[in-house]
Amino acid sequence: MDKDPQLLLHFYEDMLRIRFVEETIRDVMLPQRLFRGSSHLSIGQEAVAVGAIHALQPDDYVISTHRGHGHALAKGMDPFVMFSEIMGRTTGCSRGKGGSMHLSETSIRFMGENPVVGANAPMAAGIALASKLRGDGCVVADFFGEGALNTGAFNETVNLAVLWELPVLFLCENNLYAISVPLEKSSAVMELENRACSYGLTGRRMSGMHVMQVYEEVSAAAEETRRTGRPAYLVFDTYRFEGHHTADKQTYRTDAETLAEFRERDPIHILEVEMIDDHTVDLDTTIEYRERIRAEVDEAFDRAVLAPWPQPQDALTDVYSEGGAH
Amino acid sequence: MAEPRMRNITYAQAVRTAIREEMKADETVILFGEDVGQYGGVYGATTGLQREFGSERVRDTPISEMAIGGMAVGAALAGFRPIAEIMYCDFLAQASDAIVNNAAKWRYMSGGQVCLPLVVRSPAGGGAGYAAQHSQNLEAWFAHIPGLKVVMPGLPRDARGLLKSAIRDDNPVLFLEHKAHYTYKGEVPAEEEVIPLGVADIKREGKDVTLVAWSKTLTFCLEAVELLAEEGIDVELVDPRTLQPLDIETICASVGKTGHLVVAHEAVTFGGLGAEIVAQVVEHLWGSLRKPPLRLGAPFVPVPYSEPLERFVIPQVQDIVAGVKAHVG
Repeated sequence: MDKDPQLLLHFYEDMLRIRFVEETIRDVMLPQRLFRGSSHLSIGQEAVAVGAIHALQPDDYVISTHRGHGHALAKGMDPFVMFSEIMGRTTGCSRGKGGSMHLSETSIRFMGENPVVGANAPMAAGIALASKLRGDGCVVADFFGEGALNTGAFNETVNLAVLWELPVLFLCENNLYAISVPLEKSSAVMELENRACSYGLTGRRMSGMHVMQVYEEVSAAAEETRRTGRPAYLVFDTYRFEGHHTADKQTYRTDAETLAEFRERDPIHILEVEMIDDHTVDLDTTIEYRERIRAEVDEAFDRAVLAPWPQPQDALTDVYSEGGAH
Repeated sequence: MAEPRMRNITYAQAVRTAIREEMKADETVILFGEDVGQYGGVYGATTGLQREFGSERVRDTPISEMAIGGMAVGAALAGFRPIAEIMYCDFLAQASDAIVNNAAKWRYMSGGQVCLPLVVRSPAGGGAGYAAQHSQNLEAWFAHIPGLKVVMPGLPRDARGLLKSAIRDDNPVLFLEHKAHYTYKGEVPAEEEVIPLGVADIKREGKDVTLVAWSKTLTFCLEAVELLAEEGIDVELVDPRTLQPLDIETICASVGKTGHLVVAHEAVTFGGLGAEIVAQVVEHLWGSLRKPPLRLGAPFVPVPYSEPLERFVIPQVQDIVAGVKAHVG
């Protein structure tokens, strides 16, 4: 493993931020009914978001799913802005029009969460087509769950992205469940990486729990995609520790031990143990980090919960752009 | 003012002219879809564009409507002005997640952070014997979706001028051409002409009855109004040209003058745009209507194959003549 301590600490900080934001959603906002609908937590999947997005350049694009808080934060969204949006306040990234599963901040090239499973793939390809025609050298990271592998839009898109040599990184977060349906009941093959063969790509599959491994693999894939123009196809085995969303009763998790086993594989815990073993940090430093990030997240939440509500008639704006010829 | 110099060209040539002019003027305008490149489109609307602009900007896609629609959204998000062709408007069913859930909503869901300057072109309509899956008129589906604009030109001049506006517009525009109309000829200015979206056009002034029609039905109406004039019925023919946004003011102004409204379209009458137009006119002009408005559309059946069946289903010139006569008689 690369032992750059600053990089590891940067990963650690970003993973803690995601974890604490989502724990706040689960433990504070949910009981107090501070958001509407539901919110899809990525607790347990932070290493994929952080490792992959740190492997990108700032100008590279990210497009995400309903489970995208981690992607948005790793790309640089301010927790205050995120909390505000989830609570429907004017200080949110979409001024309250999107909510938890439609976060976007295009100025930092977080192009948005798309909660229609599989639908973000062709959008990623379109963004990549623009980059290719412009010749700007950017790549597009397309995050999706293993459920998207079974959609038509995804399959149409990978074929086309290979055919047209579009710089897309197809990053599959295999968290084993499509809401309640386990992988073995949704995919005809368990070797998800092999699905890439049908497009002439070599799929790669790895643990999604080791942030440095994710970082190194995505760095290599992004470099190769930039060089060759060919898309990359990576599958990360991860686990969603929480329900599909905050209202999920999780009746499908029959084997409690499975969960316990995966909790042992908590990516943040794994990173802490590795850093302490490597003498990158000592235990006190991890505690300092946790306390500092926790305080930062709490402060963001405290401000957001006081942020103003939109006016009802604001519902009528942002439907059409006034730009262009009419 | 001097009359503009005119050329007599087909509807397909008008479409092609608009794309060509806009691609020359703006290098972010790109075109992709099935068979649009080397083949020039199954109806010839894009003939020669790949040769002129190259295979980077004019791209043949696989048969992948979901990807075509979604890529248009992505390319627009990233600053291009894509024109996506869906070969038959019936196949918009496959591309509609991208159009309805993403193109129409990304600006709104992002709180106005982005605009989506994309055009989806698609041939609609029947009359060519393609039966139920290649002949529908689905404008009502899409005009119902906030965030989309829907254009349905009837004449070559409007097709050219409106498509130029659609390409320049910063919003997603569904541009529905009529497949049985690509060889229809009309006068188009030789010089550039841009026709704004959302502005109806009075194709013929009259005092007895307002007839509203668009797309190919408009050209049936142009014939019908001449026949009606011979029988002493003076029809005002209004072409909304754009169904979303709908220029209801121009329609209401006309009905306010005539007191009579007939709307004719190829789509099924139930839940069609005719229903919306009638409803708005009734809301605005209840007291000045001299008769209940009349809708002339297709019965509630799929488009059939056999010619006598299809002609029965799609309103023809004589149906429009008979409908208007019965309405004002």
